[in-house]
Amino acid sequence: MMRKLIGTCLLLMIFLFAEAQTNVFLIGRTLGEKVIANGDTLRVYGFAPSLSTHPPIPAPLIEANQGDSVHIDFWNVSQLHHHTIHLHGLDVDQANDGVPMLSFSVDHMEHGWYHFEAPHAGTYLYHCHVGSTLHLQAGMYGPIIIRPSDGSNTTWDGGYAFDTETLLFMSELDTFWHTDSILDHEHIDGAVHDTLLVPKYNPDYFLINGLSDQQLEDSVELNSKTNYVNYFRLVNIGYCTNKVIFPSSLGARIVDSDGRPLPIEEFSDTIEVYPGERYGVLVESSVPILDSIEVHYFDMMTSELKNIQHVKVDIRVPNQVEEFENVIDFSIAPNPVDQDVRISFDLLKETNLSLRIVSIDGKLMLSEFPRVYEQGKHTLVLSTNEYASGQYILSLSDGNNVTSKSFIKK
Amino acid sequence: MKRALLTLVCLLGFQTIFFAGNVSDTIYINSGQGLFVNGKQMPCKGFNSTPTYENRNAQLSVGIMDTLVLTIVNNDTILHGFDIRGISGYKDTLQQGDTLEVTFHSSTPRVCIYYDHINYPNNAYMGLAGILAVGANANTYYWNIKDHQSDWNDSIASGGVVDWLDYYPDYFTINGLSNPDINSDTTARVEGNIGDTILIFMANTGQAEHSIHFHGYHCEILYSTSSSMHAGRIKDTFPLKRMEGYLLRLVPHQTGEYPVHDHNLLSITGGGLYPFGMFLTILIQ
Repeated sequence: MMRKLIGTCLLLMIFLFAEAQTNVFLIGRTLGEKVIANGDTLRVYGFAPSLSTHPPIPAPLIEANQGDSVHIDFWNVSQLHHHTIHLHGLDVDQANDGVPMLSFSVDHMEHGWYHFEAPHAGTYLYHCHVGSTLHLQAGMYGPIIIRPSDGSNTTWDGGYAFDTETLLFMSELDTFWHTDSILDHEHIDGAVHDTLLVPKYNPDYFLINGLSDQQLEDSVELNSKTNYVNYFRLVNIGYCTNKVIFPSSLGARIVDSDGRPLPIEEFSDTIEVYPGERYGVLVESSVPILDSIEVHYFDMMTSELKNIQHVKVDIRVPNQVEEFENVIDFSIAPNPVDQDVRISFDLLKETNLSLRIVSIDGKLMLSEFPRVYEQGKHTLVLSTNEYASGQYILSLSDGNNVTSKSFIKK
Repeated sequence: MKRALLTLVCLLGFQTIFFAGNVSDTIYINSGQGLFVNGKQMPCKGFNSTPTYENRNAQLSVGIMDTLVLTIVNNDTILHGFDIRGISGYKDTLQQGDTLEVTFHSSTPRVCIYYDHINYPNNAYMGLAGILAVGANANTYYWNIKDHQSDWNDSIASGGVVDWLDYYPDYFTINGLSNPDINSDTTARVEGNIGDTILIFMANTGQAEHSIHFHGYHCEILYSTSSSMHAGRIKDTFPLKRMEGYLLRLVPHQTGEYPVHDHNLLSITGGGLYPFGMFLTILIQ
């Protein structure tokens, strides 16, 4: 009996003190497609979550908590090309650094495994480091968010708490670089590195979270409430300098950069983000705001302003009652979800409701027109098969009141 | 306790007074044919440590509180200037064959850029800009970052006019060298051990902007020419505007060979070819 008790205690201790493990599966592709703002379809490279989907730009978000053990299974399905995953900013050891001549590269139809212990809460990124000038522009990049040890909505362990979180992942597209003559570059098996002839760079689309212009305005925005603390993660993986200009009424303060808290936070409405850099910015407002964040793109050779993109900011006064008085027992299950998610709620009276799902990086996944739901219990089932792994916010609204819950897609 | 503190302060003061001294150096304004990666040649100029032209500008160094007595000799055939960016009182000119002497001292560790202010930015662009380090230690490295549009060097050297709004450089160097040659420059290629305090004096003396990214490590900014707010920040990527620089402290926590490169990845090319640009590695044993 005593032995059994000791055994149970040991098992419990192992369970309590063992680090969590995050497993990620990514597929390297070179025949992906992306629809750009003018409706054209471009060929792209990228990291896809499954063979049935085109690689999204940016690639799927990798999320873990500080201290977690993260394992990435990278399967390269891209014909002649080899690729790697560089874990930018995570200071991983040489074997996992993803630089072909110093660690390893992954050939077509081969798997490569990368591992790291998430060291510091913060914003990072991953990208291919083979022929990197070309492979990044082709689309092989994505974000990594390391959350505090407890996974809470704070900037880092003991850092600032926040109510909303928005990722602005900035890059550009030069459509000429996305033609077969450029993307089908020569690769020599066994070579230390590919020698590539890099064409002149003249980007014609300027992206935030892979979107630009009308695509961006329809999808990425800050929807928040007065006196909420809103945390922005700014990342630049393009070849331009970004100047991110917040409305002055938001009182923007820069609190972290490159995965480390700043020793002295800086109050500035304008944040310059150079390629490879990341910044964490907190904003809040005590009054309603309907405005936009401007993201400027500057040529790094000439300092010429090339483009401006806008991210809508809509901050409203919260309703006196956070939850709908007539919506009770609102739940999402299972959570985390693998395929179908069940949304359950109970209405005390007939209500005109709309449903909306937004990814943590601000991408609008679903926006239903309002429809009438009768009094009583309701269960909706939605497929998340097309969703990338990550966190999503599901909101129910009657036009005046909003209630939200988050869920994780595995 | 008070007495011990007083003694320490006195000793430190005495040490500073006692050890502060003068160092002398001479640099030459030369012009010549620069040799770049893959055999590319173009006309260039430099502040060199010998009367013969080389791509690398002289790496000047002075201890904290020491005085540098610097002699500048104009070996070129045209008027040139000398100035230290951000510090008043140094701006001066040198006719062909002239010699100029300046004295410099600083009470704090910092990176400074000395350069030719005449016909700016053309002379600086042709190569006349280098690093003056204050507070170097035994593990100090220098990264003088430049870019060139090769046909513009020909044009400027022959008195032509260029439009900087059309600038599109095709060669990117650190201390005048590109990948893979940078790793053979012992003043650029960091080699050290876990726990070493390594200082990197880094300056962008080119006419493009750069963004220098470290694999494997974060570094602490000890000094930034562009803002005092930057000091103390611990980062892996360092934005470099034109004629700005950082003094970085790297204390490696792990062994290995890790790249450092410009994350404006267009700069990892030479003559349009990847990866013959701004890319080197750090080796920690």
